[in-house]
Amino acid sequence: MAEPVIRVRDLHMQFAGRRGLVDSVRRRPAQPIRAVDGVSFSLHQGEVLGLVGESGSGKTTTGTLLLGLLRPTGGDVEISGKSLERMSAADLRRLRREVQMIFQDPYESLNPRMRVADIVAEPLRVHGAVPRGAQERERVAEALEQAGLAPAGAYLGRLPFELSGGQRQRVVIAAALALRPRVLVADEPVSMLDVSIRADILNLLADLAETQGIAIVMITHDLSTVAAYAQRIAVMYLGRIVEIGPTADVLGSPRHPYTQALLSVVPVPDPTQQQVPVILTGETPDPSAIPSGCRFHPRCPQAFDRCPLVDPPLYTVGPQHGAACLLVESSAHYEAGDDEHDAADAHRSP
Amino acid sequence: MTAATHVAPPEVVAPLAVPLHPARAFFRQRLGLVGAAMLGFAFFVAIAAPLLAPYDPYASVRPTILDIYQPPSAEHLLGTDDGGKDVLSSLMYGARVSLLVGFTAAFIALLIGASVGLVAGYVAGRVGGALMRVTDFFLVIPDLALMIVIVAIVGPSLTNIILVIGVLGWTSTARLVRSQTLSVKERKFVFRARAVGASGLHIMRRHILPLVLPLMLANTVLVISVAVLEESTLAFIGLGDPTVISWGQMLNFAFTRGAVSAGAWWALLPPGLAIVWVVLGTTLVGTALEEALNPRLRRHHLEAEPRLHLLEELRGGEPLPEPPSLAPQPAEGSPPVLRVSGLTISYDSAGGPLRAVDNVSFDLHRGETLGLVGESGCGKTTTALALLRLLPPGGTIERGQVVLDGVDILALPQNELRAVRWTRMSIVFQGAMNALNPVKTVASQVAEAIRLHEPEVGRRGADDRARQLLERVGISARRANHHPHTYSGGMRQRAMIALALACRPDVIIADEPTTALDVMIQAQILELLADLGREFGMGTIIVTHDLGVIAQVCDRVAVMYGGSLVEEAGVQQLFADPQHPYTRLLLSSVPDVGHPDRRLRAIPGTPPRLEQMPAGCQFAPRCPLVFERCWTERPPAYNLDRRRAACFLVEPQARATDG
Repeated sequence: MAEPVIRVRDLHMQFAGRRGLVDSVRRRPAQPIRAVDGVSFSLHQGEVLGLVGESGSGKTTTGTLLLGLLRPTGGDVEISGKSLERMSAADLRRLRREVQMIFQDPYESLNPRMRVADIVAEPLRVHGAVPRGAQERERVAEALEQAGLAPAGAYLGRLPFELSGGQRQRVVIAAALALRPRVLVADEPVSMLDVSIRADILNLLADLAETQGIAIVMITHDLSTVAAYAQRIAVMYLGRIVEIGPTADVLGSPRHPYTQALLSVVPVPDPTQQQVPVILTGETPDPSAIPSGCRFHPRCPQAFDRCPLVDPPLYTVGPQHGAACLLVESSAHYEAGDDEHDAADAHRSP
Repeated sequence: MTAATHVAPPEVVAPLAVPLHPARAFFRQRLGLVGAAMLGFAFFVAIAAPLLAPYDPYASVRPTILDIYQPPSAEHLLGTDDGGKDVLSSLMYGARVSLLVGFTAAFIALLIGASVGLVAGYVAGRVGGALMRVTDFFLVIPDLALMIVIVAIVGPSLTNIILVIGVLGWTSTARLVRSQTLSVKERKFVFRARAVGASGLHIMRRHILPLVLPLMLANTVLVISVAVLEESTLAFIGLGDPTVISWGQMLNFAFTRGAVSAGAWWALLPPGLAIVWVVLGTTLVGTALEEALNPRLRRHHLEAEPRLHLLEELRGGEPLPEPPSLAPQPAEGSPPVLRVSGLTISYDSAGGPLRAVDNVSFDLHRGETLGLVGESGCGKTTTALALLRLLPPGGTIERGQVVLDGVDILALPQNELRAVRWTRMSIVFQGAMNALNPVKTVASQVAEAIRLHEPEVGRRGADDRARQLLERVGISARRANHHPHTYSGGMRQRAMIALALACRPDVIIADEPTTALDVMIQAQILELLADLGREFGMGTIIVTHDLGVIAQVCDRVAVMYGGSLVEEAGVQQLFADPQHPYTRLLLSSVPDVGHPDRRLRAIPGTPPRLEQMPAGCQFAPRCPLVFERCWTERPPAYNLDRRRAACFLVEPQARATDG
């Protein structure tokens, strides 16, 4: 297999926590918020990876780290084999062209006073990628048409309010494509759109991955959105990937109890198939107070005596399929040192 | 100063997608036009003073006693002043100084205020904080006193006066620009620009300044009026530039040189009125500009502001009057608890009323959960709100009936309507999670609602019932005695449901009840709603865009498109055998986690806008099965076997069913 476009190794991101009044008075130190707490994965050209989790799982922070907008507090992101950590500011700027982001809310992510032509040209201008004039116009038109807004001429002079939600999201995508990136980080790209047009945007992203070889990290809380589009799915819980693997395996035979719970609550659009949702008890996950041992154990319906004690590594449970749960430990066999093996790649010693 | 932090009104449907051009919006403000005319006149006089003025007030004359304080005459229209000079001419020349000082000082204030505000707003942390402290310092020191001191020290030349007024007058602009910058900075498109790799300078210049500029200019117009006043004040107390004539100076001379004792009102009144004229003109223009330029941008309904006013309206406050006596209901197989027929709603717009809901009819039985599904702008939320007559301003129910247990809600007088709302029919919003009273415990709020409705249960009884109800929605007795801010989003939504159930309503409406919640909680809330509906024998309406939700919790489904109900059927029927082409396409666009191999199909085109609603079938422009008749005629809802569909293609089938 070829060298991955993105390789993330043991990524950590801590934010300074906030202290309440009582804590300040009693001089208790603030609990740091461990938003990302040891995430590893890699992504190949043309691959779509679904990064799934609840709010507070660290999925969006992970996306932001891939863009180099934040400096991780630990671990490393490699893009095209180059490490972000050791990069100078100038190199980082150049590298930013390679990773672009698509946002959740197409109504908010476009400046209401800017015309489509300027919105799409902005990244080119910021990076001085092409001289202004004919060359820039060509690139803008190319990006718009790749994003499915053809003929581009019909859209160049428009203001965002003149466009529908789907068209706006396409403008956001066109702006991201203008720099011809190798990676797109799509943060909930369709959750604000109408059901009837979601498929259009998702199909467009899948096509971009297929035909242009762009690698896509699709961040979402909705497993059903990525089911048909991602080759692989990574499920995050409290800053860690708890299960990762090929979509069919993760959805078909989920090994982590959290994945199973998550899957059980996705509303199935079929009234004949009544679901039995696995209801998780306990407090909602709080990244400033990550439980000991397995971070999921207080809510896990299958937790046993060892779970509060041992932080499970990602065990290999199938080809490219890993789950961080002590229940799979016995059936697991991981091949440490195999770089191309994602599950092993993500393994950390407990 | 009037910091323009308007709260955008909650938007259910945006009937006007196209915001007015700022210039047109400005001209719609009559008072603004009046102000502009007043200022324009002042400017004209100031510029044309040498041509218009009958005398040159700067020419040195030797007045005789007979020239001083002469009343208005044909020769001197506004009389003469203490030096025997023509008041009208002085007034005209005075306009030059007053306006010059006003505008240049305001310009200086704008430059300083805008730079400080932008930087303080954009650069957080120490620099921004320090700049704001400086601003606060300038804000609290008394401008006028400091001005007097400084002018007294540096000398009252015109330049000094302009500089002093400008340098001391920037704080209001700085504060406004800072707060605007802070809010614009948080917007997604600024983050997007940062993600692209744009520098701070680029973001300030390209994204923040253009959005802040209009309000900044509007504010500057108001600063002008302050500057004009301040110049007049300085001049009036004798700190004006003695070499020039300004209105304040005229007042000063008139007062100090015996105009009052001479009864020479003509030397006092005109400069005073001139100051009022300019200040009033600028204030009117400034206010109108602020109104016109304040960008009220269209937002998506999924992130609409919490509909707080609706909730306030719902809860009223005073004890409720007796609910109207409604006939008791026999059980099962009975008439519906809620019958909606021919409901037609329109919204006002600049181009006339726009129809948002067109002839919608459906029944709801006790214990039944009806899903109202459709894309944004299809009228589902408008329909739901109209059931309680809670339409936002501009919305009108044109026709139709909403009959709750034999009583037409739309015909009820206001006081009886209030009794029906909340007690017989209540609503749970997606955004109203923050609508719980923050200073009362959740349990006491629920108990209060119970006692409002049924005073006879007493305090103890209400408390007990509140506790039971909260337990039923999954809030333990311990947690029930906590305040709402300690609750998570899901808990708050549970509390809202308990509140809505407090009066044992017959019908409960849930508008996108889980949209803002986390996935793990969504399923629980929906199950809870459906269970409670059956348990309490309520009719439940769930408004949603999520067909997965519909499939899992609803008994019947009403599909809306372009303001019409296009199909209604039992949930199994609808998913197994959709009749309307729209329903069919909608179903094929829904992702199913159980079939990851199936690629989704989107419906080509976009939903129609209210102002461009097709004359025939609303779905015709997107329908793959469209034929001629669809373009000219709107299909009625044909009755089929225990279901309805509004499509000409089912007409033959409907005839067969009828016969």
